[in-house]
Amino acid sequence: MLLPLDMLRAGEWAEIAEITGTADWIGRLAELGLRHGCRLQVLQPGSPCLLQVADCKLCLRGNDCAQILVRPVVAA
Amino acid sequence: MSQPSLIVALVGNPNTGKSTLFNALSGLRQHVGNYPGVTVEMKKGHFYLGEQRVDLIDLPGTYSLSARSPDEMVAVDLLLGRRREEPRPHVILSIVDASNLDRHLYLTTQLMELGEPVVLAVNMVDVAEAQGVQVDCAALARETGLTVVPIRANRGVGLDRLQAALVQAAKTGTRPVPVPLPAAFEAESQALERELSGELPPFLAHRLILDVGGTIEQWVVDKHGPVVKQHIEAARVRLAEAGHPIPAAEARARYGWIREIVGKCVTRPSERPKTWTDRIDHVLTHRVWGTLFFLAVMFLVFQSIFVAAEPLMGLIEEGTSWLADQFQAQIPEGPLQSLICDGVIAGVGGVLVFLPQIMILFAFIAVLEGCGYMARAAYLMDRLMSRCGLSGKSFIPLLSSVACAIPGVMATRVIENRRDRFATIVVAPLMSCSARLPVYLLLIGAFLTEGFAWWVPGLTLFGMYMIGFTLAPLVALLLKRTLLRGETPLFVMELPAYRLPSLRVILRRMVSAGWAFVYRAGTLILAATVLIWACLYFPTTSPDGTPYPERIAATADEAEQHSLQAEWKAHSLFGQLGHSLEPAFRPLGWDWKIGMATLASFPAREVIVGTLGIIYAQGEVDAGDADQRKQLGATLRADIARDPARGPYRVPVALSVMVFFALCCQCAATLAVIRRETRSWAWPAFTFTYMTTMAYVGAFLVYQLGRVLVDALGA
Repeated sequence: MLLPLDMLRAGEWAEIAEITGTADWIGRLAELGLRHGCRLQVLQPGSPCLLQVADCKLCLRGNDCAQILVRPVVAA
Repeated sequence: MSQPSLIVALVGNPNTGKSTLFNALSGLRQHVGNYPGVTVEMKKGHFYLGEQRVDLIDLPGTYSLSARSPDEMVAVDLLLGRRREEPRPHVILSIVDASNLDRHLYLTTQLMELGEPVVLAVNMVDVAEAQGVQVDCAALARETGLTVVPIRANRGVGLDRLQAALVQAAKTGTRPVPVPLPAAFEAESQALERELSGELPPFLAHRLILDVGGTIEQWVVDKHGPVVKQHIEAARVRLAEAGHPIPAAEARARYGWIREIVGKCVTRPSERPKTWTDRIDHVLTHRVWGTLFFLAVMFLVFQSIFVAAEPLMGLIEEGTSWLADQFQAQIPEGPLQSLICDGVIAGVGGVLVFLPQIMILFAFIAVLEGCGYMARAAYLMDRLMSRCGLSGKSFIPLLSSVACAIPGVMATRVIENRRDRFATIVVAPLMSCSARLPVYLLLIGAFLTEGFAWWVPGLTLFGMYMIGFTLAPLVALLLKRTLLRGETPLFVMELPAYRLPSLRVILRRMVSAGWAFVYRAGTLILAATVLIWACLYFPTTSPDGTPYPERIAATADEAEQHSLQAEWKAHSLFGQLGHSLEPAFRPLGWDWKIGMATLASFPAREVIVGTLGIIYAQGEVDAGDADQRKQLGATLRADIARDPARGPYRVPVALSVMVFFALCCQCAATLAVIRRETRSWAWPAFTFTYMTTMAYVGAFLVYQLGRVLVDALGA
């Protein structure tokens, strides 16, 4: 089941399945570690939301999150 | 010093401890290098290892070498030796955070393609170990083929090994083996390289394909025409068809390599332990608690700016008045004495009083940035800022502008989006800066204290600050809808881990901000006050032919002396001009004195207090001195009360002056900074025009509405 990132609730884990958008945006997210297959946790939902990706925290706006499709996973 | 010096470029992601490492390696032997045509500042320092001099260049923190702006291109060009003013570095020092190795090695893999030896400094090994992350540096060196040195930059651990490794790397000159990119990609890149007849080094040919719409692509297309653009796009389409979509192919290749290596060199606990940063963030990024904490921090900052600066300001005031006394005693009465005491010391001294406030503010900004809180503040404020079309990153510059618009405008460099950045720059001077405070205090003290309820002065002052707080976002919104219209930029920001800020960095920020301020007082404000003084001093002869100084000396009556002084000012060049401009001032409720004092404050708004003091025959008036300020206020009020046309409306007059100052861009230095940051005269001209127009209209409305209100209440 795929859903947009902004639909996850606080504390939920997910794996990124697909990122859409301009090449520049995809490239920039990749530099920050947000890429296909990476695992993240939502720390604060809403807009902007706060994500834990590996060992760093990133904040993104809600409508930008909608361009990221994720597959929810049970906390590892 | 027989050997030529060795050049090392320091590159790393933001928040890796790069500045700390730079400071630890180069100590006090550093300076800031500016580059023509861009706003990038690169710090340079050096150290000696035995006889060998090593020059260190600190490049701005970056996540990758994909240049998205000319500013970012400078760093890439510098690394490739493509900038004339800087020789190509011999060694690249790549700094990474041990607890975030996966992501930080991404930049390192790009650095490995530049064709220069790369030394990898793994920082904060201790912090990583505390989290249960073990980095095997020997294995990392073996797998990457780079020299790897574990360090703790904040404690100075591992630095001698790092220095030796840098010199050794330059000596052997071993080039790293780049991370393999798909063969199809290499072929396309080489074809493009040939098409451009070897003008681009292989690294830039790679970037030309990988960075869609990047600076290199724009540069190449500008130079060689749209045909090349078609070829680049065709190459990207062919690669996508072959299963290597751009830019995902790059991330896949690099992260694939990194994952393999990190798997061999790093052991981490199966579950990521909760760190201190996580616990603190749980509260500080909370929508309610975090916002309350943020407001408390802001209150603390502003309150301590006023409280802590007070004794220091008193010292500076005493110093300037002592200096004025010395000159008064040493120099015979006449133009020279008047120039030095009434012009230079009163004018420049009145401005220098604010030095402690500026330095305290910068200390706070350095602490908040250094410990990582600024990113949290930007996160919390993004919701608010997005309503006016800006992002959380615009918030810090606007907040800094409450102290002074100059650092505020410079702080906009963190905003990557050009339109957002310019909108922020243009509205930053609307925030009430510390130079407006003396004006507010003078006028509120004179007109809105006696005969009013106790809360009126405080509320008026609050109201003046609110003008900027409400109008700045509104103007930004208007700009984003018109001149700077464009798609809402995508917003992504990293929140670094909390850490103790470095005292050295804080002190450095304070000193450099203080020095910039003193320099401005010593040049621009000095020149302005001397000019105003001269225009108020000359011509010295009264209509009957005797010079004013003689007539004043001849009479012993103090009241007579004061009225002669006032007559002299009215006949001075300044006074004559003021009288001819009075029709322009009248709709605002101003007489020639206020009007001219305001006009004279266009180079620097602080000048008005001193100018009013000279006009009202008070001798020098120091903006910071409470007693003199009260005295000037009383004279001002008495003067306006005497005027039959304005007397009943003195409160609207005062409010009109304050609103004018709140809205007007009376600061040449701010305009100069806007020019430097936007690289065009159009933006400072626009800022000046819109603010001055708003100020005139605002002051007009306040005075006219106030007059109607006073009449209605009176009747």
